[in-house]
Amino acid sequence: MKIFVLIKQVPDQGAKAGINPDGTIDRAKAKRMLNPFDRYALEAALHARRLYGGTVTAISMGPPPAIEILYEAIAHGVDQAILLSDRRLAASDTLATAYALYCTVRYAGAFDLVFCGLQTTDGDTAQVGPQLAERLQVPQITYCEKFEIDHSEIVARRVIEGGSQTVRCPLPAVVTVANSAPRLAYKTLRGARRVQQLQRDEAERSRVIRTVNLDDIGADPVRCGLKGSPTIVAATEKVGEIGGNCTLYQGKPLQQLVDDVLAAQVIAPELVKR
Amino acid sequence: MSTKQVLVFVEQADGCARPVAFELLGAGRILADKLGAELAAFVACASAGDLSGTLIAHGADRVYVAEHPELAAYRTLPYRRVLIDLIAAMETPPHIVLLGSTTTGRDLAPRIAAYFETGLTADCTELDIGPYEHTNSQDPSKVGLYPDCLYAIRPSFGESLKARILGPWKNPQMATVRPGVMAPLAPDAARTGTVHSVAVHFEETDLQLVVAETLRSMGEQVELQGAEVIVSGGYGLGNPEGFSLMYQLAACFENSAVGSSRKAVDAGWIAHAHQVGQTGKTVRPKLYIACGISGAIQHRVGMDKSATIVAINKDLNAPIFKFAHHGIVGDLYQVIPELIRQLKLQKTPTPDTRNVATHSL
Ligand SMILES: Cc1cc2nc3c(=O)[nH]c(=O)nc-3n(C[C@H](O)[C@H](O)[C@H](O)COP(=O)(O)OP(=O)(O)OC[C@H]3O[C@@H](n4cnc5c(N)ncnc54)[C@H](O)[C@@H]3O)c2cc1C
Ligand SMILES: Nc1ncnc2c1ncn2[C@@H]1O[C@H](COP(=O)(O)O)[C@@H](O)[C@H]1O
Repeated sequence: MKIFVLIKQVPDQGAKAGINPDGTIDRAKAKRMLNPFDRYALEAALHARRLYGGTVTAISMGPPPAIEILYEAIAHGVDQAILLSDRRLAASDTLATAYALYCTVRYAGAFDLVFCGLQTTDGDTAQVGPQLAERLQVPQITYCEKFEIDHSEIVARRVIEGGSQTVRCPLPAVVTVANSAPRLAYKTLRGARRVQQLQRDEAERSRVIRTVNLDDIGADPVRCGLKGSPTIVAATEKVGEIGGNCTLYQGKPLQQLVDDVLAAQVIAPELVKR
Repeated sequence: MSTKQVLVFVEQADGCARPVAFELLGAGRILADKLGAELAAFVACASAGDLSGTLIAHGADRVYVAEHPELAAYRTLPYRRVLIDLIAAMETPPHIVLLGSTTTGRDLAPRIAAYFETGLTADCTELDIGPYEHTNSQDPSKVGLYPDCLYAIRPSFGESLKARILGPWKNPQMATVRPGVMAPLAPDAARTGTVHSVAVHFEETDLQLVVAETLRSMGEQVELQGAEVIVSGGYGLGNPEGFSLMYQLAACFENSAVGSSRKAVDAGWIAHAHQVGQTGKTVRPKLYIACGISGAIQHRVGMDKSATIVAINKDLNAPIFKFAHHGIVGDLYQVIPELIRQLKLQKTPTPDTRNVATHSL
């Protein structure tokens, strides 16, 4: 079984570093992390290999520091990785990203399954997986939370509004993994040793983690980055006050404070249980 | 057919449109009127019955109907095929195409956008039409003034920012829209419109995925959307036990539910079904009580249409105080027990029942 998993490095929003006072993100200063949704995709890929054998290749597109998450993936047991890094990819929207990832997948060869996270925490679109499936001309299973392989068919349970659905379809396919799927297990000792070895041994590293650019994968630069993106972020606006002025209750003894709140009919009496 | 069109994808089950379809028609009507365009609805199903009439009553000028047994339940590839064929057959593509950001809309929209190599903005909370002038000459082919752009507005990654995303260079300009945000029109049986049947052709590969079973477990649903009062707990609760206090406060109200922020869900304190916000539910109760929630934009977009918002937070500078109607500055572990005590007193305000009131829930 040839399994690909697509993972992205995102700014860590929990850490306050790199968040400007106006609310925008300074990506150079922000702490970086593996997109939390992609942890479920990694687990799904490793699960597929545990059950059906084969290899797992992690693929990421991003600036050079994104190699950190590829090490992380290897520590979790991924066999090899590809990092697509090229300045011409800057300002890619989802269409351009999906195109570049499509070229990377094509470069990496034939596959049975491509796993994606449901969405990223920075782009937050959940579009890249299905757009990649469209480029690859294969079926997709989105919001997948459980699956098995049965005679070169995948049988999967996907989340839908207020319930779930079981579908089956032949391979190859693109699967986006819901965050109700099994959590990523701990890093393995073997994986951790492998990372240490790769950090020491440069030749081995460039064999296991291939870093490629647009020319290597045969991508058309016009379809990448700013040029290849049909959308732009035209403006960001800070969100102001909507309800107008907030009436504040503070600085009084507790009982009196709550008295004031109730006296002001902040809580409509008809809502309270009789 | 060369009139401008705003096209809305109608999500349906067994010939009944889902609420999001009417919301999209409401939003689409406003956009179409601003553009001087026609509002079209597209529905794929096994049999449309009188759905077309309902869609016209809700604002559609034109309804495209694709009927086929293979379209009974939503599946990516058959639906993709009919929608792509419909758009490709038009003399000019629709100006705008809207879908709901449901598991269906978010599954289908990216494939359509990728096929036509056009822009798609996910999970919008506001839509508008307006001009845009592109001056950045890094890509000269894009420079120019575009009068009638779709403004697709959504919360952005930053804590309190909204992003306006545009793609005026190519039609259709596409967006998915959050369910529960846009207002549907009141149905008007006097409205008129035309119904067009769409030819359906599948390739063999379109039908390779089969739906074996669909389960809708209504019982387990958290009744957030129907509640008049929502008591929501955030990371400020400090621990999972804090939610028992949320349930105690909620129990003071007639028709209530417990909500939460994502940080509390991520911490594993409460199930995702309770989450309010961009990646949770959108709610508009009569009363929303936010306890230990800072008020990040991603939370705010899920609740800021509530009639009354009360925030309890110990930090006077918390962003939630910028948009709540009433703010109680204090430790929730002190404020809420006192609030519960007084709410119970309120219903039986005679002094001699005070003691009884404190231990009946
Ligand atoms: C793509 C994306 C999607 C997201 N989707 C959502 C979403 O759907 N819903 C959502 O909620 N968030 C979402 N978020 C996360 C959001 O940005 C915030 O991180 C989150 O809402 C913060 O949760 P919080 O307010 O509970 O925690 P915090 O921001 O940590 O705030 C805790 C608050 O509690 C107060 N506090 C602490 N102790 C006490 C006490 N004893 N008494 C009173 N007050 C106290 C503090 O002053 C603080 O203001 C999303 C983020 C991203 C990037
Ligand atoms: N730059 C990237 N590199 C690798 N995978 C990506 C990248 N961007 C998006 N993806 C994949 O697509 C999924 C959805 O991303 P998004 O559409 O940005 O929400 C992610 O969870 C990843 O699996």
